[in-house]
Amino acid sequence: MWTALLLQAAASGIVTGCVYALVALSLVIVYKSTDVVNFAGGELLMLGGYLGLLALIYFEVSYPLMIVAVIVAMFVVGALFERITLATVRGRRYAKNPEADLVPMVVATIGLGYLLKGAVRVVPYTEEVRRLPPLVTGPPIFIGDVVLQRQDVAIIAATIVVMAALIVFFGWTATGKALRATSQNPRAAALIGIPVQSMRMIAWGLAAGLAGIAGILLSPKLLMTPDMGNVVMLAFAAAIIGGFSSLAGCVIGGIVLGVVQNLVGVLYSPQAMSVTPFVVIMLVLVLRPQGLFGELAFKKV
Amino acid sequence: MYRLNSMRRTALGALAALAIAGPAAAAEPGLTDTEIVIGLFGPLSGPLVGYGLDPINAAKMWYDDINAKGGIHGRKIRLVVEDDKCTANDLVAAVKKLVTVDNVFMLHGGSCTAALTAAQEYINREKVPYAMLNAAGDNAVIPPLRYTFGAFHGTQRTYAAALTGFAIKELKVKRVAVIVHDDDYGKANLLTTEAILKAANVEVVAAERIPPNIADVTAPLLKIRAAKPDAILSGAYPAPAVLIAQKYAEYGMTAIPLLQAVQGIPTPAVFAKNVGNPAALENFYHGWSFTDVGDEAIKKKYADMYKKHYPDREAGPFMITGLPSAMAVAAALDKAGRNLTRESLVAAMESLDFKPEIMAGPLQFGPNRRDAMRSGFVVKYDGKTQKMMPGVYTWNGKDGL
Repeated sequence: MWTALLLQAAASGIVTGCVYALVALSLVIVYKSTDVVNFAGGELLMLGGYLGLLALIYFEVSYPLMIVAVIVAMFVVGALFERITLATVRGRRYAKNPEADLVPMVVATIGLGYLLKGAVRVVPYTEEVRRLPPLVTGPPIFIGDVVLQRQDVAIIAATIVVMAALIVFFGWTATGKALRATSQNPRAAALIGIPVQSMRMIAWGLAAGLAGIAGILLSPKLLMTPDMGNVVMLAFAAAIIGGFSSLAGCVIGGIVLGVVQNLVGVLYSPQAMSVTPFVVIMLVLVLRPQGLFGELAFKKV
Repeated sequence: MYRLNSMRRTALGALAALAIAGPAAAAEPGLTDTEIVIGLFGPLSGPLVGYGLDPINAAKMWYDDINAKGGIHGRKIRLVVEDDKCTANDLVAAVKKLVTVDNVFMLHGGSCTAALTAAQEYINREKVPYAMLNAAGDNAVIPPLRYTFGAFHGTQRTYAAALTGFAIKELKVKRVAVIVHDDDYGKANLLTTEAILKAANVEVVAAERIPPNIADVTAPLLKIRAAKPDAILSGAYPAPAVLIAQKYAEYGMTAIPLLQAVQGIPTPAVFAKNVGNPAALENFYHGWSFTDVGDEAIKKKYADMYKKHYPDREAGPFMITGLPSAMAVAAALDKAGRNLTRESLVAAMESLDFKPEIMAGPLQFGPNRRDAMRSGFVVKYDGKTQKMMPGVYTWNGKDGL
């Protein structure tokens, strides 16, 4: 009996871990491209979920069209935030040390989070817990004693596809390489003709679009409230475990976190589940600060 | 000389008359011969506006009707309304403004226990009678504070007693699993449930405490399934309650009755839609303390009354929760009589014992009791229709303390 119990807990943990990983991927894109830690990642996910729900309810669009519309809308939101807010903040140059400029930008992302949460709360549908219809429906899938919903399988598949697409994008496409170059040395990137400002807009647009996809996939599973963006703390944990600069690492970090959380819940107590991510973060930061798959960064001075 | 004496006599007479007839009215803030000023507050904006807007409207509606009938002992009720946003800071600011600037006679408000407990020390220090609007958290009324009266539709202990009593009496359970949150409400619910089950020789085979923000309820549900209970009692909030119902169906546990405390299912139709699986509601029950579910005439009567007062607004599910406290305040003001003081109102509230037609049981207080409602129903809900189950279950005031 215990084997079946633990297998089921682990399987559900993998799905939940993929949830964390999808949000973590959105965070890592921004970090890899602009060095900014995006504290509004959770709220962008929440916005994507609500936009999807409102598109289905108010405009009665089909599910595929809704997904496309949400990705486009979220891309615009992300790009505009970069253009209007971050570019302005960056242009002011608060300190002689460029790295100190990151602080107001990080604070700006916190502000974006509050702004989005406040804006969404004005919408009537946000007064109660809501649920976006699942992307995939049908009877559950049994693998031995383990049962998974079809939406769970869709989340796992989407996480793998998104991760693979991002690895290809950053590793093999000109735009992806330009984004990385922009992150590593914006001045040198500009000197060789990379439009740095546009690259940053693209990075934020991509991250917001990905958060929108995550919102659509996660809203049927986590349920929707304006506070659902709190899941971002678990995404940070996933990214830190995997290594903040590694796309595959943050997916594996998310899965590790989801599985460990569930096993702690089954073997010890569900009360300990909310503490588990932070214990794991502490352990990783002490034992392997670059994360399981990250690399230690050195800067020549 | 005569003229001066006459004036002096008139003045002395007037002073004597004031001293005899009007000392109470003159001494009590917010009270005149013609009006009683009540400070009404609740969330009128912000994320939790849904808990307060309709209940405040319902309370205003009740007071308006009383005024239309001539008021209470010749005094009309005048309301000063403030928005507390369900946050401690805003609520304390609203209460202080109502007491010190508006000089209200009494306070009536609050939809969120966590926020209103921040103002309780001030309210009791100022000795202002206070009736909670529709907040019902145990820690606002247990242990009792002299000037606070609340839980007009039941505390966690009331909800727990109703579900547990029904499970023992009607479902004949011998093994029960409990799932509640790891906060004060969950603790009150669990303690009461365990005490009632122990007294009935029913075994608690699993007692799972989960964080309110839990994203995956797999672990607690697997442990409950492994414990093979005859029934599952849940005290979860709305989002976790949906996750629990989903997993319960996913793991093929629908032969086991699932009983959910009322706070997890604020709007039954929305809950059913969120669960999204009719199988999850085949054996589903929830607690309730209003008679509107079982009595269509009562439901229609108060819905029509609301429509008459607010023709442009459809009553939400929480509307009815604003009524019992307004009914109790009006009854206590009536009982206190014409020589009303804050202390006489507290005495009247303490001795209150009446059953509004909308409630499962009587609204009662006492010298050491500040939670009004201890009775509850159980409703069977299949996602479409709500059916009142037999029996009214009452918390005995001891279990779980």
